[in-house]
Amino acid sequence: MEKEQLEQGLNHNRRKFLSKLSLGLGSAALGSLLIPDLFSGKGNSEEAIMNALPHFAPKAKRVIYLFQNGAPSQLESFDYKPLLKSSYGMDLPESIRMGQRLTGMTSGQDKFPLVGSFYDFQQYGESRAWISSIFPHTAGIVDDICIVKSMHTEAINHDPALTFFQTGAQVGNRPSFGSWLSYGLGSENSNLPAFCVLLSRGKGNGQGVYSKLWSNGFLDATHQGVQFSNSEDPVLYLKDPKSMSRDERRKMLDQIAAMNDIQYQEFNDPSISAKIQQYEMAYRMQTAVPEITDVSKEPDSIIKLYGPDCLVPGTYAANCLLARKLSESGVRFVQLYHQGWDQHDNLPSQMAMQAKDVDQASAALITDLKQRGLLDETLVIWGGEFGRTNYCQGKIQQDNYGRDHHPRAFSIWMAGGGVKSGIVYGETDEFGYNITENPVHVHDFQATVLNLLGIDHERLTYKHLGRRYRLTDVSGKVVKDLIA
Amino acid sequence: MARYPKSLNFLENLIFVWFGFALIITVAGSSIQIPEWLQVFGRSHPLVLHFPIVLLLLGVCFSFVPAIEQNPDLKKLAQFIWIIGINFAGISVLAGLILSQEDYAGETLNLHQWTGWAVFIIAAVLYFSKDYSKTFLKTGSLILAVTVVLAGHWGASLTHGETFLLAPIIPEEPTQTNLAEAEVFKDVIQPIFQSKCISCHKEGKVKGKLRLDNVKEMIKGGKSGPFVVGGNLEESLLTQRIHLPLEEKKHMPPKDKTQLSEEERTLLTEWVKAGAVLDLKLHEVDSSSSLFKLASLRFNPEPVYSFEFADLDQVSELNNYYRTVEPLSPESPALIASYFGIAAFDPASLTDLEEVKEQIIQLNLDKIPLTGIDLSFLKSWPNLETLRLNFTQLDESQILEISEIQTLKSLAISGNKLSEKSIEGLLEMQKLRQLFLWQSGLSDEQKEKLKKGLPRTKIEFGYDDRGIIYPLNQPKIEQEKVLFKDSLEIKLSHPIKTVEVRYTLDGSEPDSLESPIYQNPIWVNSSGKLQAKAYAKGWISSNSVSSIFMKSGISPRDRKLLSQPSPNYKAKGIETLFDQVKGKNNHTSGEWLGYTDEPSWIEMELDPSTKIKNIGLSLLYHESAYIFPPTRVEIEFFENGSWKKIINEQPRQSTKIKEIRSDLIQYKVENRSPEKIRIKLYPIASLPSWHPGAGAKGWVFVDEILLN
Repeated sequence: MEKEQLEQGLNHNRRKFLSKLSLGLGSAALGSLLIPDLFSGKGNSEEAIMNALPHFAPKAKRVIYLFQNGAPSQLESFDYKPLLKSSYGMDLPESIRMGQRLTGMTSGQDKFPLVGSFYDFQQYGESRAWISSIFPHTAGIVDDICIVKSMHTEAINHDPALTFFQTGAQVGNRPSFGSWLSYGLGSENSNLPAFCVLLSRGKGNGQGVYSKLWSNGFLDATHQGVQFSNSEDPVLYLKDPKSMSRDERRKMLDQIAAMNDIQYQEFNDPSISAKIQQYEMAYRMQTAVPEITDVSKEPDSIIKLYGPDCLVPGTYAANCLLARKLSESGVRFVQLYHQGWDQHDNLPSQMAMQAKDVDQASAALITDLKQRGLLDETLVIWGGEFGRTNYCQGKIQQDNYGRDHHPRAFSIWMAGGGVKSGIVYGETDEFGYNITENPVHVHDFQATVLNLLGIDHERLTYKHLGRRYRLTDVSGKVVKDLIA
Repeated sequence: MARYPKSLNFLENLIFVWFGFALIITVAGSSIQIPEWLQVFGRSHPLVLHFPIVLLLLGVCFSFVPAIEQNPDLKKLAQFIWIIGINFAGISVLAGLILSQEDYAGETLNLHQWTGWAVFIIAAVLYFSKDYSKTFLKTGSLILAVTVVLAGHWGASLTHGETFLLAPIIPEEPTQTNLAEAEVFKDVIQPIFQSKCISCHKEGKVKGKLRLDNVKEMIKGGKSGPFVVGGNLEESLLTQRIHLPLEEKKHMPPKDKTQLSEEERTLLTEWVKAGAVLDLKLHEVDSSSSLFKLASLRFNPEPVYSFEFADLDQVSELNNYYRTVEPLSPESPALIASYFGIAAFDPASLTDLEEVKEQIIQLNLDKIPLTGIDLSFLKSWPNLETLRLNFTQLDESQILEISEIQTLKSLAISGNKLSEKSIEGLLEMQKLRQLFLWQSGLSDEQKEKLKKGLPRTKIEFGYDDRGIIYPLNQPKIEQEKVLFKDSLEIKLSHPIKTVEVRYTLDGSEPDSLESPIYQNPIWVNSSGKLQAKAYAKGWISSNSVSSIFMKSGISPRDRKLLSQPSPNYKAKGIETLFDQVKGKNNHTSGEWLGYTDEPSWIEMELDPSTKIKNIGLSLLYHESAYIFPPTRVEIEFFENGSWKKIINEQPRQSTKIKEIRSDLIQYKVENRSPEKIRIKLYPIASLPSWHPGAGAKGWVFVDEILLN
């Protein structure tokens, strides 16, 4: 309470101070230097930014981000390196490693024995892209996707790398990708949050996900990602109690809003107005969400398309189906996280299980969007936070090995939403260690995604603690070659 | 020396004030937020800038008039003109810099900004070095004059546009055609002739009797034969000649003339290959062909809409919780309307959109129930290009109405059943580029007919599950607990409602013929294992899933561990085995006793004449954590003063790595009443060769012993 009183005091002081500003031109000038929007009549600068967005005609209107949390190995998925197979057990040459820092998990190793993919690769589609045998469904849609083999990042551990991908900075407290879009573009459908988060977990070695990854950071709390529950009831506590009618609920919310408004007048705390808006949103979600989460009206072939797991709440397949339904209903950014891709050991057995979890449903999502005419305006992204080393972590065996974290090169794929389809972008050296062609930094990737959404990444900013922030921090170049 | 005028001193100091402020904004402009009142000052730039232009040019003129040098009054006046001019230059620079923080950018702005700065600096330098040599001052003055003119010119370019000054004498460039309207011949092929061929093949200079400045003459061809024969590269002299080696005399264009680029050559060839049609629109060309790919690069891919903007207030009034009407982009007059929420849909609200029907290019009504709603009004929307009506329960007459919308380029009606008549209607839509027909109940013949009848439309029939057979997922077993006293209810379920779940209670694998089909919850009253499998038509049966249930047993009077568990997994010691709590599927949960170096060896003492029929062992298996079934189970009874080995068995061993799971091994004994019982479980001494830890010691984990 002490804190609130202090803040109230501060708010009051500022208002008193402002009310005296009419005394003279000098103080007015000083006042407007301190508070730039004082005379603008625009209300706040956030609104001004909103009115000007998108900056240009968008190609994609919505994003579904299938985040493969834990970092799937590029060498067992999309980056085919036969040399690693023929050089089994040979030490990674220093000329290739070039002083790359290591994690604490392999820095003690005195050798870095190269190891190739346990799975076979084959070329698919018109793009003749190489895809490993554990992703047969993805291979089936290869001409609809764009594989980027030359991603690179700055972080080498999960938490900072994930945070970097999602917020543009390795330390927390910045707004997440989806929050930026919610702030910049708002929701298409005002009955649903603009930014929804769906979690699932595979059987492989997992790494945590935490709510800071979908935090609104310094943006208004209405831009926070809404995490859906893994149960039959994806949005908890949304149903009214049995005896409560919709009218009663409405009256109750009106009363609460009135009281909250009194508090807001008193304290001027923006989190109060965010709360009022969130109650209103929840009220509208009471009718909007059941329409979306009800899978019983889906045609039977959808179950085959996504796999029977899509009816088991909390699975990746169910989340993909839900993601489509949310996106189709106008949710700007649907963020999935699938855990279990951290294969430091037992890679051959674990990675096959992980791929089995996600392969069919990921491909199904693309097919499903396509057959509804939605793929053109929906950008789907599949990928992890970094890559994995071309050498074995721990004991090396022909049929069992592990790979450590590798930030210098990894693969992701994108589809729809104005991205070129059926291409493979970027190249790595024959060791799969360094990028040799068209590197794409995480900030470049973010800038490109924003560009597809009609946003100039340098102009989507928010002023906080005296400086303007953006998702791409102070860098990032749009990769034009990826845009159709 | 004459008294230095105070005002002059003040004005001189003022120059540095402007300089300082201007410097700050130049260096740190982008990180300063300009308050609104200062913007007003900034916007006075176009007004203020005229003063320095006039005053400084006047000052420059004065420095070339010798008479002024001799007259002290005039000299003083000149000095004032200079100092006032410089001050105004300073103010102009400052105001200009502030103004530039608004929506200005680009090369011209840069040029203007730096020449403006230069005017200010040069003038100031000239002023303060007025006692230097005359030549220096004169040269300086001339440079200043030029800079003033340049700064003025670039400034004017910014406000009036780059071409403003010379526009009357520069010929107008043709406006760029956009992709949707471009014609292959007129906009791609003819321009190539214009630039590379026409100088020798035109009226007045008709080489080879071929004229390319006139389509009629072009078709006639030249003296050697026809210019183009549609689809025939050999017969067409055009393609024949351009592909001859450069040294050949007949190679076109001639060796000494500008050659065709590789791209132009391909375009010409592909055009002839595609039939050399004269009125072919580019968007009608197959978008995967190289003709389209190359030609489309020459046009603006963004469709340009020429209709009026809708009234902004009107548009924002159309937006509500269940409908959005948004512009395609900020600069575009085109609007996209979308409906959300099945429950809240009001058919009457569709007519609201009539107010902006001219601007709407896309209407999204996915999943909105439209049965019986008259959609014919859409025909009068002049610019409707995209219509999304997936799963909207359309009937035949509605589809026929839609098929009459002439402007449509993309139509999505997936999830609506199509009749033969509606297919006929769709076949009329020759202008359609994209058609989405998934889940439309079409037969293969009907699909084929549509594909043939709409050759220029990309039709998406979507995913077809016929002939695809996948395994089902496992049924779900729900039971409140594992250990029970009298009886226990077990429920089975499967996410796919049409599936049959079959189960067994005797530890055997369920089969599709004999095992009972699950209908109602199962009640069990003795320990055992349930196995269940899901079956459905069109699917491969699921893997079996199992669960154990244990009837709590007789509590021995005394019990002790004859061998100690591994210190990390000693749980609550001997009591763990008789606490009637089934451990979670996690060997570190503190509910399991773990053994690796020596066998687990337990002794129990029973109340006299307690009858034992059944002994159950609750075990945990998790191969990837090295936890295996025991290699040997020995049970001994102490009866009539001696130990007798009752059971000496080797349970079935694991053969591969599987999920973590618990198991119940049960042994029947013939109604005996021993005084004491000893159980010995041997952990696997050497993991099998298929295991990653082959050769290492394995573990046995046990959490409960059941005597019944």
